[in-house]
Amino acid sequence: MKWWPTKGMKRFLTEMDNYPSKATVKSMNIFKRSIHIYTIDVGNSNLLNFEIKALQSAQYNTHRFGIYFADSPRHADLLIVLGSPTKNMIEPLMNTIEQMPKPFGILIVEENDEMDLELPNVVGRLKNPEPSDILGAILKIMERN
Amino acid sequence: MCFAYTALILYFFGVVFSFKRWISYTLASIGAAFALVGGIVGTFYPFTLGNMELLPKIYMSLGVNHTSGIFMTIAAISWIAISIYSIDYGKFYSKDMGLWLNLSFLGMMIILMAGDGLTFITGWEIMTVSSYLLILKHKGAFKEAFEFLAFGELSTVSLIIAFASLFLKNGNFSFTQNSGTVIFLIMSTFAFAVKMGIFPFHTWLIGAHAKAPSNVSALLSAPLTLMGVYGIFMALSIMPNLHLYNFQWWGILAIIFGAMSAFWGALHAVATKQLKTLPAYSTIENNGMILAAIGISVMASADPNLAIMSEFALITAIMLAISHTFSKSLLFLSVGHVKEALNEDNIDDLRGAWSAVGKIPALGILISGLSFSAFPPLAGFVGEWMLLESFFQSYKFSDIITRLVATFAGIFVALAIGMAAFSMVKLAGYTALGYDHGKKAKRMPSTLMKVSELFLAILVFGFGIFATFVLRYFGYSQFTSGLFGVPSPFLMISSVPIFGVVSPMFFAIVTSVLFLFPLAFYLTKNKVRRVNSWNGGLPIEEGEYFTAQAYSSIIEIVFKKIYITKEKRSADEAHIEFVDVISVFYDALKGTILKIENVLSNTLMNGNINAYVAYIFAVLVLIFILR
Amino acid sequence: MKILLGVFRKDINYYVVQDNGIVLTETDPADTYLPNYASVKLRDMMINSDQSVKDGDGVFDFRYGPVTSGVGEAGIYHLYTYGERILSVSIDLSYKHRNIQNRMVGLDLKSGLKMAESICGNFAFSHSLAFSKAVESAIGVNVDSKSQRLRIIALELERIYNHLYVIYQLAQTASQKVLTSHLSYLFEESLRLNKKISGSRYLKNFNDIGGIKNFDEKTLQDLKTDVQKIVNEFKDLYEWALESGNFLDRLYSTAILKSSDAMSLGITGPTLRASGIREDLRYNDPAYENLNIPIKEEGDALSRMEVRAEEIFESQRIIFNQIENFDAEINAETTEKGFGYCESPSGTMVYKIDLESQNISDVYIATPSLFAFKGIANSLVGNIFTDFQFAVESFGVNFADAAL
Repeated sequence: MKWWPTKGMKRFLTEMDNYPSKATVKSMNIFKRSIHIYTIDVGNSNLLNFEIKALQSAQYNTHRFGIYFADSPRHADLLIVLGSPTKNMIEPLMNTIEQMPKPFGILIVEENDEMDLELPNVVGRLKNPEPSDILGAILKIMERN
Repeated sequence: MCFAYTALILYFFGVVFSFKRWISYTLASIGAAFALVGGIVGTFYPFTLGNMELLPKIYMSLGVNHTSGIFMTIAAISWIAISIYSIDYGKFYSKDMGLWLNLSFLGMMIILMAGDGLTFITGWEIMTVSSYLLILKHKGAFKEAFEFLAFGELSTVSLIIAFASLFLKNGNFSFTQNSGTVIFLIMSTFAFAVKMGIFPFHTWLIGAHAKAPSNVSALLSAPLTLMGVYGIFMALSIMPNLHLYNFQWWGILAIIFGAMSAFWGALHAVATKQLKTLPAYSTIENNGMILAAIGISVMASADPNLAIMSEFALITAIMLAISHTFSKSLLFLSVGHVKEALNEDNIDDLRGAWSAVGKIPALGILISGLSFSAFPPLAGFVGEWMLLESFFQSYKFSDIITRLVATFAGIFVALAIGMAAFSMVKLAGYTALGYDHGKKAKRMPSTLMKVSELFLAILVFGFGIFATFVLRYFGYSQFTSGLFGVPSPFLMISSVPIFGVVSPMFFAIVTSVLFLFPLAFYLTKNKVRRVNSWNGGLPIEEGEYFTAQAYSSIIEIVFKKIYITKEKRSADEAHIEFVDVISVFYDALKGTILKIENVLSNTLMNGNINAYVAYIFAVLVLIFILR
Repeated sequence: MKILLGVFRKDINYYVVQDNGIVLTETDPADTYLPNYASVKLRDMMINSDQSVKDGDGVFDFRYGPVTSGVGEAGIYHLYTYGERILSVSIDLSYKHRNIQNRMVGLDLKSGLKMAESICGNFAFSHSLAFSKAVESAIGVNVDSKSQRLRIIALELERIYNHLYVIYQLAQTASQKVLTSHLSYLFEESLRLNKKISGSRYLKNFNDIGGIKNFDEKTLQDLKTDVQKIVNEFKDLYEWALESGNFLDRLYSTAILKSSDAMSLGITGPTLRASGIREDLRYNDPAYENLNIPIKEEGDALSRMEVRAEEIFESQRIIFNQIENFDAEINAETTEKGFGYCESPSGTMVYKIDLESQNISDVYIATPSLFAFKGIANSLVGNIFTDFQFAVESFGVNFADAAL
């Protein structure tokens, strides 16, 4: 074992305690203590994927809010749909929604193109958000801010 | 006594009535039922059926004693299941199958009741030859049947040598206390080990079990190899007192070969993709474990202080034999049912028996698979727990070499048990529980097949849960006890004073109580949403199922040196090749012998009349000179 | 040393060729770069490895995607295998296909630029730069030196955050938890730095046709210290990472791509340089000085990571150099008419644009990811499952860039 992992211990990379959000979202207070999120890319320009990856960085430290990223929609409470669907991705998106255990919510995160698909249980829409906006919206869904 | 007679007579009638299939098989099953009663009676009240004097001092005698009674009980249960199963299953094969099936039961009866070498050999030959003919019932099984016969005759020949040694010492062939000789022990053990399929004499077993009709596979795998186990028990029982003479070398050899074949069998069971080859390798593994248990017993019996351990190892062998006989009969019968219904050979092609063929055969595969994976509280768990407990106690041996051998053998056996679970998950997971191919199963009368599968499945459960009572029944009540709120005799103990304990019954009770809660939850929740299995957003297609090959590839690649794994890849096809090294050796041996034979026949028997005249002349000259 | 990057048709076939740091069109291709002609010409949405073994005992299609967290994007990897060993790979890009080239035709220049930026978010500036260069050469606009230098700085900033991302992903795949956390921190910091400079975390709406306007030069000194901070911190982490045996073991000899294969597939950028070939569009650009772009020989995932890591240091030098010489005049690179290209973080990005009264009448885009996917498919063959993620991440490409 190298000594350098201890370097992480003496540094506090986490930033804010609170991420206020102006987004209008439907709150689901059943997930107040913990929420598991699955993200599905349906055809965004990879920018939103990068933002989700950035959201998982040390600055935001989402685990302290009980926000976890699941590896399967079956483990998830909230589905984040990134982008507007390409023709081929509509079926996989619908299949994914079908796999979500109830109750669940869908947070639509868009870029420039509007998503014109009818999805069930949509709890909010974000447009070109930064990671802090996404985090704020999630916290609002959880009723934590 | 009369039961045993009736059984023999019924088998005889079964042979006679073989022109009518169902009569023949029914007679066989009734005969087996009588044999069961005979066995149970004989366990407690040994009896003889009579002696027949062939020559002065040379008798043929039949009788049942405690040991053979136990084995007859075990074997008879398997015979009952096999013959009931055959009433339905036999319809796919020719009429003389009933004849040979009855005859092989008869042969085994004779073996179990034999009181002397001649009778034993008679039974042995009847069993071997009729089994050979049974294997031949499957089309294209000639090579495998012949290999079976060759190894069968090898064991017969060594048995003849063993009994000859018996005759030289005692002047007769009878199995009486202290009549054994070392040569007898060596040769008979060899003969029985070949029959049990002990490494490295197991190759006959694979081909024969895989190719034979499934009821015959069950017969070959369960009762027939059980005869080998019985033979070893019998041979040891007539040896002079084990603790007076030093037979530790036998014990060490038995442990080494037992552990080796357990490991080898488990290793190849993991890799194989053929539905019936997998249980065949599992047979090798189980028989190896039985032999290892006997080996521990013999080693312990050399030390008077370890009498309890010796007895425990002995009852371990019997429990392993019970679990193997029941579970393996069940496995082969269920697998045969599925195979016949879907008409496929590969594990991959037989997925989803639960929905495609039926719940009972799938349950049979599942329960026997779990039993072989040592899943509590099934019979296999009890046997394998006892075996590991026997190995754990090897620290009690005073001799350092013995301890080391037992320790390392224990490691191999533990590995084998683990890998057996791996292979059984493959078998049961794919065949019984896997996704349905959507293939139509062949419609066939299968009520009695299901009856016999259910019968065995219940026994595998029962002999696990009530293992303590089985021990008491066989007269080993010192290994049952009560402790920590478990009332006597629901607790099994592995030594006195207590070394290790387990209570399959209480395990079953606790698990079923714990199971009640989710069950109640499931039943009360009336709205259950069912969705397709998650596969990355698209429905799973036929070509996307994880194959049985892929399940075990990692083992084949890691143990490259043992399997001699080769990854073959051409322009449009790829596969993994691996071999059982021992069968490669036998193939090479066979090839060499054929070549020598060819050369000899070309040079000596060349069809030239002059050469033959010259041979005759040479012989004449030789005779004159010798005179 | 010619690499075929594209084929487009006017009246005859034109071949887009990269040759020693210059991208140009040819009408008569030499045989040396023909191997990828078919795939370049057809732009097939299904990319198959050259070795295509899909049959055999126990061989099945291990489908990875379109919705799996391992892939993360809308795309499918079909891995054909008999267990562990990957025998053949097919990559399906069609799930990300947004029909961009056709949608771009007829747009005006502003919306065209916006669309180019949203083809692939993490290469937004490269796309924007190549697009505007193409338009500038088509309509004959000269770009001032400061804008050129700013473009170089932005391009290097994009390179820094993309390379940080790739190494962050590799560390995460190898379960190097501490390294992953630190790199994720640096990754987010570099995105914030982008916002500070350009107003957008992904350097969008920063570049414009004709140059970069509305830029406050005072921020350049801050930029210098910020870049210095990020790169210094990365340098420490990288040196420590190279001491971690089990991290390097996962990367070493994983998904090897030989230089000859890389050339014939049309692969450019760090992947090509990790195979030992000195090829970079920046060499030929007069705006760059004293370039020392790293090259590695092995062509495995480790080499690709090393090249990317050392490019971060090189990017810092370039940025510093550009800031120091910010006021000095430079000559613009000359390209063919309607032709624009740049060295994006993952390789050559080419735009060929025809204009008709200030509207786009025809566009041809060649992105580095398309070729790299072919490289992924080929280099995966013969590896085992656990190498998959390392192979994919080490190429640093994505479906959005490949499927237009």
